[in-house]
Amino acid sequence: MANVFARIGDWVNERTPGLAPMYRKHMTEYYAPKNFNLWYYFGSLAMLVLVNQIVTGIFLTMNYDPSASGAFDSVQYIMRDVEWGWLIRYMHTTGASLFFVVVFLHMFRGIMYGSFKKPRELVWLLGMLIFLALMAEAFMGYVLPWGNMSFWGAKVIVSLFGTVPKIGPALQEWIMGDFLPADATLNRFFALHVIALPIVLLLLVVLHLAALHEVGSNNPDGVEIKKGPKGNRWDALKPADGIPFHPYYTVKDLVGVGFFLLIAAFIIFFAPTFGGWFLEHDNSIAANNLVTPAQIKPVWYFTAFYAIVRMVPSAFGTAVWGVLGMFGSIALLFALPWIDVGPVKSIRYRGTGYKVALTIFVIAFFCLMALGMDLTDEYFPRIFGAGIDITLWDNVFGRIMTVAYFGFFVFLWLYTHLGWEKTKPVPDRVTTHD
Amino acid sequence: MANEVVDHGRRRFLTSATAVVGGVGIVSAAVPFIKSWEPSARAKAAGAPVTQSLKKIESGQQLIVAWRSLPVFIVNRTPEQLAALPKQDPRLVDPKSDGSSSEQQPKYAQNETRSIKPEWLVMVGICTHLGCVPNYVGEMKPEPFDPNWQGGYYCPCHHSRYDMAGRVYRGVPAPKNMQIPPYHFVDDTTVQIGVGPKEGA
Amino acid sequence: MTKPTLLTMSRLLMKRLLPAIVLAVGLLVAGQPAARAEGEGQLMASGANVRDQASLQRGARLFFNYCVGCHSLKYMRYSRIADDLGLTEQQVMHDLNFTGAKFQEPVISHMPPEDATKWFGKAPPDLSLEVSAKGADWVYTYLNTFYLDPKSPIGWNNTTLPNAAMPFPLWELQGEQVAVTKPGSDGVEKLDLAHPGKLTPAQYQQATRDLVNFLAYVSEPAAMQRHRYGVWVLLFLALFTMLAYLLKKEYWKDVH
Repeated sequence: MANVFARIGDWVNERTPGLAPMYRKHMTEYYAPKNFNLWYYFGSLAMLVLVNQIVTGIFLTMNYDPSASGAFDSVQYIMRDVEWGWLIRYMHTTGASLFFVVVFLHMFRGIMYGSFKKPRELVWLLGMLIFLALMAEAFMGYVLPWGNMSFWGAKVIVSLFGTVPKIGPALQEWIMGDFLPADATLNRFFALHVIALPIVLLLLVVLHLAALHEVGSNNPDGVEIKKGPKGNRWDALKPADGIPFHPYYTVKDLVGVGFFLLIAAFIIFFAPTFGGWFLEHDNSIAANNLVTPAQIKPVWYFTAFYAIVRMVPSAFGTAVWGVLGMFGSIALLFALPWIDVGPVKSIRYRGTGYKVALTIFVIAFFCLMALGMDLTDEYFPRIFGAGIDITLWDNVFGRIMTVAYFGFFVFLWLYTHLGWEKTKPVPDRVTTHD
Repeated sequence: MANEVVDHGRRRFLTSATAVVGGVGIVSAAVPFIKSWEPSARAKAAGAPVTQSLKKIESGQQLIVAWRSLPVFIVNRTPEQLAALPKQDPRLVDPKSDGSSSEQQPKYAQNETRSIKPEWLVMVGICTHLGCVPNYVGEMKPEPFDPNWQGGYYCPCHHSRYDMAGRVYRGVPAPKNMQIPPYHFVDDTTVQIGVGPKEGA
Repeated sequence: MTKPTLLTMSRLLMKRLLPAIVLAVGLLVAGQPAARAEGEGQLMASGANVRDQASLQRGARLFFNYCVGCHSLKYMRYSRIADDLGLTEQQVMHDLNFTGAKFQEPVISHMPPEDATKWFGKAPPDLSLEVSAKGADWVYTYLNTFYLDPKSPIGWNNTTLPNAAMPFPLWELQGEQVAVTKPGSDGVEKLDLAHPGKLTPAQYQQATRDLVNFLAYVSEPAAMQRHRYGVWVLLFLALFTMLAYLLKKEYWKDVH
């Protein structure tokens, strides 16, 4: 039997341009540093979630009706009438939120260990493009159930484009194909969500991995294993600190997959709305263009960026500054390889200033997130007493956090361009503790 | 480091065990997706019995109603059409519907007219070849496809022909007589498709 | 500080960061706002539990006796109610279905929307997703906070949803509550039971708990399947993860 498989394999390999070499290059002879820690699970997990989204998404389209009159009903049809439709939908909705959890952690890993630095700038840029495409994909997917949050979420996000001077209102109508989110909007968002953006995402993921495997993975020590000594037990010419991706990291990632699926399955089966964060209560009400939900806010993974829009006041008669701030908060991440030019990659050997700045940045991100979720409206009165002016407190708190967010990039630029950073010596070889 | 001897047996066992359990997981995960293609609760509800009044169907006329999304032909056959039925027997594949077509009708419709009441034909209008809907050609006059036409059904897709009881002629692609659904008469002028007559009634 | 200690510290920081994030996310979830809807005051705990089949059956009976005259459950089929609540077709068609609908059909109220709009100012909402939208506690509290209000055109008012358009349909069960206002203001301080109804206050609370429980089930019938399968899925994944861990340990003997 095994012989038959081997012969089929040979038959294919003799007739294709390098499937076997490709497998070797990316799996058995891709030498990854042997000191990956917990943070290195999130790349493969992101891949897993992507596959989940595509498979469940395909099955959802089979029963979903992308029309303003039928969308909401068709989601309930999936939840109730289609056999196992509820599971397929919950896998998709939970997957969407977990996608962002995984991607945020993956990005943070990249920042923390300097994975965006030379020679991996392109890996980082492609990754950021994936993040952008993912945000667009998630936003359009969020609109599809055509609940009241979907409708007003679409209205508000599209209105962001309305702040562009001069062409704003026309641009807004062009995006919606109507004067409010309507049939035309839903149709085009559906087409983009199920066809256009997934193709873009897949292409970017392939490029992201191809670019990564060209330069090799970074590691928690930020040591270039290719520059270190050669010779390991598998190959005398390969880096001494590298181990073949397959089988060592495939079996390791399998453990990560197991843990991740445990968490995901727990949410899917026992808390699919996640207390209203993954599936919002107001989206159980069909879209109503006459009534805005009492609490109109984006779904949790957009809240940090969205909060920045609220924190930047309008000036010179236009609200475009907040929108610029939001886009700027993402654009700065793109520019990170040229903002942070410190020679040391890993936080383990960087200056104290960097550690403090990164900690503040993470805190600011979570605070902006809480602010965007309107959690502050709930907790400020509890902490500071019922009589306080919530808007004032929100604004003061939010603006401090916005400054902290942007301050991180300004500080990093100064810190590394002006040579203020006092780094520690980087070891020649990876440290193999785990 | 790495000088100890690799325990190949343990390694192979764990690899197979993980692969088997993982494979079982993937197969089980596929089940809900495969099952999601089964008729939904809505489709099943739509497949509930259909009740149709026969008052407006005149002699020689056909009415098509949908039952489980299938076209069901209800025909009020004329005495001439009924009289022509036995004469077709030599030209048919399975005139008594007891051969290849024995499963194509309920027991109570396994007769010359393939019906409960002779004049009323109630039949699923799907060609047994590749599933097209045959045309009702009721008039008994020479047709381009059959100079000796005695009324019946002609399938536009691959030219299969059936008589006025949905019995298939010889020499056409379709293998079987068209299907008779379960049905019964609620009263003299009302038929319900989807439920057979009660036992003994 | 010597280098090794700094190194250890930074590594400790790394090891603490992830748990810290997990903790932060946990706090966010723990602190999540309950489904909020318009209205004042604290919500009472409904104690709805869709695994309590007897309660669901009682709740269904209440719904079909007191609510279906005006409110539909357009996403809920009678046949599904029978399956999930352990009732026979006979029981559902005889005891619950008073509209003449077929067994497979959804629960649609017979009230014409135009009439409803004329009588109540707006059509009574479909209740299929009421608990998903507002939360079980909100619906439970709402059903317990009706009071007689001479100033209201319909004679009733509600502290949870002020100026609700619905006249109190369960008054003969609960009786008539009246508002006790705060001295010198219109604000309602508490509700007093002026005329008892057919049920004692404890019985009425149980009845509304059953009704809310039924509506919670109607909001997401799949919850029953979720809970049934979820445990097995988690056990299976735990087995898989354990095997994968042993496999990883075995292979990584080469590396360490």
